[in-house]
Amino acid sequence: MDNEAILRKYKRRQRLIDILPVVALAALFAILVATVQSKGYRLDMYLKIVFNEGVVLAVVATGAVFIYTLGSFDISLGASTLFSATLGVMTYNATQSLPLMILVIFGVAVGCSLLSSVLASVFHIPVFVTTVAMMSVLSAIAAQIITTNGGAVGGISIPSALVKPLDNMGFKIAVLAVFWLICFFVFDFTKIGRKQKFLGGNPVCAQLTGIQVNKYAIIAFVMAGIGVGLGAFLTLVYTPSVTATTAGSIGMNIVVAIVFGGMPISGGPRSRIYSALVGGFSYILLNNILKLLIDSNIGYGVSQIVSAVFFLAVVYVTGLNYRSQMLPR
Amino acid sequence: MKTSKKIIGTLAIPVIVAAILLILCAASGKSMISSRTSFNYFVLYAAIVMITTMALSINLGSGRFDFSLGAMAVLASVLSAKLSYALLSGGAGSAVLMLCLNIVFGALLGLASGALYVTLRIPPIITSLGVTLIYEGITFTITGGKYVMNEVRNASMTAFAGNWYWPLLIIAVVLALIVYLFDHTRFGYDYKALQSGQKVAVNTGIREVPNAIWCYVICGALMGIVGFLNVARSSNINGGSLNFGSIGIMFTAFLPMFIGGYIGRFSNDKLGYLMAALCMSMLNSTFAAFSNEISASAQSIINAVLLVVFLIYLNNEGLLKKILSPKKA
Amino acid sequence: MKKALALILALVMVLALAACGSSAPAANNDAPAADSGKTVKIGVLVSDVSGEEALGFRAYYENYIAKNYNVEFTYTEQLEDAAAEKAAIEKFAAQGYDAILSLAASDRTTQIETCEANGLYYAVVSGMLDDAQFEQFKSNEHFVGQIGPSMDTEFEAGYAMGKYFADQGAKTVGIYGAFIPNPMHVYRTAGVLAGLGCTYGGASDKDGIAGQLFGDQGVDMSKVQCGDTQIIGYFQGFGDTTFDELFAIIGQQPDAFLSVGMATTFFADSLNGANIPYSDIDSFTSGNAANMADGTLVYLAGKYSSSIGPIFAATLNAVNGNPIRDAQGNALSISQGYLVATDSETFDNIFNGDKGDSPIFSKDLLDTVIGAVSYDDFVSLVESK
Repeated sequence: MDNEAILRKYKRRQRLIDILPVVALAALFAILVATVQSKGYRLDMYLKIVFNEGVVLAVVATGAVFIYTLGSFDISLGASTLFSATLGVMTYNATQSLPLMILVIFGVAVGCSLLSSVLASVFHIPVFVTTVAMMSVLSAIAAQIITTNGGAVGGISIPSALVKPLDNMGFKIAVLAVFWLICFFVFDFTKIGRKQKFLGGNPVCAQLTGIQVNKYAIIAFVMAGIGVGLGAFLTLVYTPSVTATTAGSIGMNIVVAIVFGGMPISGGPRSRIYSALVGGFSYILLNNILKLLIDSNIGYGVSQIVSAVFFLAVVYVTGLNYRSQMLPR
Repeated sequence: MKTSKKIIGTLAIPVIVAAILLILCAASGKSMISSRTSFNYFVLYAAIVMITTMALSINLGSGRFDFSLGAMAVLASVLSAKLSYALLSGGAGSAVLMLCLNIVFGALLGLASGALYVTLRIPPIITSLGVTLIYEGITFTITGGKYVMNEVRNASMTAFAGNWYWPLLIIAVVLALIVYLFDHTRFGYDYKALQSGQKVAVNTGIREVPNAIWCYVICGALMGIVGFLNVARSSNINGGSLNFGSIGIMFTAFLPMFIGGYIGRFSNDKLGYLMAALCMSMLNSTFAAFSNEISASAQSIINAVLLVVFLIYLNNEGLLKKILSPKKA
Repeated sequence: MKKALALILALVMVLALAACGSSAPAANNDAPAADSGKTVKIGVLVSDVSGEEALGFRAYYENYIAKNYNVEFTYTEQLEDAAAEKAAIEKFAAQGYDAILSLAASDRTTQIETCEANGLYYAVVSGMLDDAQFEQFKSNEHFVGQIGPSMDTEFEAGYAMGKYFADQGAKTVGIYGAFIPNPMHVYRTAGVLAGLGCTYGGASDKDGIAGQLFGDQGVDMSKVQCGDTQIIGYFQGFGDTTFDELFAIIGQQPDAFLSVGMATTFFADSLNGANIPYSDIDSFTSGNAANMADGTLVYLAGKYSSSIGPIFAATLNAVNGNPIRDAQGNALSISQGYLVATDSETFDNIFNGDKGDSPIFSKDLLDTVIGAVSYDDFVSLVESK
């Protein structure tokens, strides 16, 4: 086979691989629909539930794509979501002001993200370790605030009537769409996204061309912070209360979602802004399908095993064209 | 480096930590280690921290992130607890049998994890996410999500936990074995070559795949020991962790890993992990002595701040020395 | 091209999810009539899948109640937060369930509102809403009610346990506050302090002590003043320092160790080894039976598995169109006390009397309150045990 033929084959395979996460999402969607219908359950309600479960993850993970594109890794985003929501609720309860609450949520989310970024870039600490420390600190402080103020109820809350008008699909779709489109534009149509991909793919080369690492790292963390703020706000819209365990699963699910959506964990030029959206909803769909199909208490363990195997299979296939002689790190 | 400098460098941090903590305790009229039983648990905890740190550093040092360490420790313990109870019904020799089985099961789980990594050739961080979910799922399925108690409560286990020399013996044996394996064998030389220059090492003919698999097997065996020590310490196993509930153990090993790495400059990094583990165990005992003054949240925050401060020092050492050193006229 | 295709497909998926889900959920109007023969489907919300008490409750519903009534129970996985609770209720609604029994407490307000929005009946299985929440929902027709230890009962259980050891002449004790600031554990610990004859920050009453414990996130030993019985150590939670703290107490050889939960699971082995008598507020399980027989567990205030029978009966009645309401039309609110055993014989009588096919709240007993039954009769039955 001549080189051109090999290249054609490679490109064909790459096209297939690139759309695989989307195909997986479509297939999972179809399976969920079929499963719910065959069991005689209410499909409209089920889809709404899945959307509600996926939207916070999709929003936070979409913001996180900017960090992951740089080849960095932030494990504190779940704790940031909890912390922002906590301070938002405290602010509302102190001032009775919804705009102020929203302002505090976003301010705190972006502030936490910036703090991680500054600690990492100014003091040259590995980003992952910084975010591990941030995770501990933010969850500890949030837990302290919640339990001190929650009293016998065990959590803090805002009046449900305050956010009920927003707890509808239209609002959530609008939030998701607007945020996603902004991220899409920044990531794919501005120099910010291009330079971040360059930095993630080859940091040494990128720096030698004059790209300022710190500047683009800070922008990435700010975008992630906005995603966290939106996630925290949407969490409060769905359930107007915060406990010490709120958003606890988001931190790790973001990683799973991004990778499930076909993005390499090492970031770089193969990063895709839609990975978080596709992967987030795919993961939620998969988990719901498995819970519908595998019943009983012990089934939760089994469904987690099946989910993990499916996850590894998708990641394996999406990475097929990037095998090297050496083991990946 | 002079021998005296090596000794001072190795012992400086533990001695300084001990001095500070002992002064703090004495000033408050408290005792860091108040009884023989406290000492037993001090040594036991030091063993847990040292071995977990070694397990984390083996793969992390080679750029392989492993979230599955905690899940491996718990699953190995559940399997060995069930089997040892089936064989001896909690009778004499149960602890020894369980320790041996823990090592075997841990090694096998590590082997499975490593085999998956080299077969799929996807980044180890992603493999480890899948493996964590799978091992947690298996544990949950075996235990039905319950605590495992009867199988691990017997005179043999109590005798083990009640004598400091058993964990001390384990520390000595593990330290000797790991130093031998990584510093005095062909495997260890290859490991270091791959660690410092993967591409060059592979090109010179070092077989990366077997080396990586052995690393996973050793990590698994070490986490098997950690699982056993945790059981000895708490006399139960929580079989109900799902959705990454087991990854916390990894984060506790970051601080000792960096401290150990620093101490290792003066002697040997494995010895450094032991020294760091002693520091962590002293800190833990001090937290226990001050438990009425320092809440669990405050402990998390202190640990996180220590981690960040130490890393700031570690990563800006040159700059700090420059600033602090007396300027020449 | 491929990017555009991927994007379009992704957005179509998300919009399809949204569009299909945007129609307003209808209430579950096909509730079974009393004698329709249709299986009543009940979803159970749980936040603990590992504890012995939770497992005992589950065995009673699944192995006894489900066999004796035309009812099907489905348990959730371990629900971590309010969002998970709400999603679980919505899923049960989508599957055509009739009622929700809740053992999860992240956000009970949202639980009830979600049940109401979806036409499901709702009951608190073990525990109580706080007073403000109960006032808010007591007239809600979907709220069946609550039967379980109220915060007053939790305080009293702790108080009785503390007083037992004070009366026994214990001079020194250690205390485990379990998972403070969990409200149940706060009130039990407040009760223990009061029962031992101690004051906390000058307060000796329930609200005075509990309020400060919430604020302090635990017991601040500098605020404790005791009389004849001294507290030599206190700790809470379960983490890296737990056993160091336990052994610091054991090293001082206290006359007793008082725990407000989970002592057998966490500490029985260590306390047995040191021959220190201990007490707990937990449940009547095989683990506690063994420790009581050994003589180390000397006091247990516990729930028994079938104590959750009456709330099932009330919920079944509501689903079948026979809601039990008080004279003002309000939901049930009955505080259920703990049974106490201080010797093996009493323990075994309770434990063995509530096993398998012969639970304390048996079918014969529950049948007396299933159907059209008065509020007073129902309360009498619950309070008779």
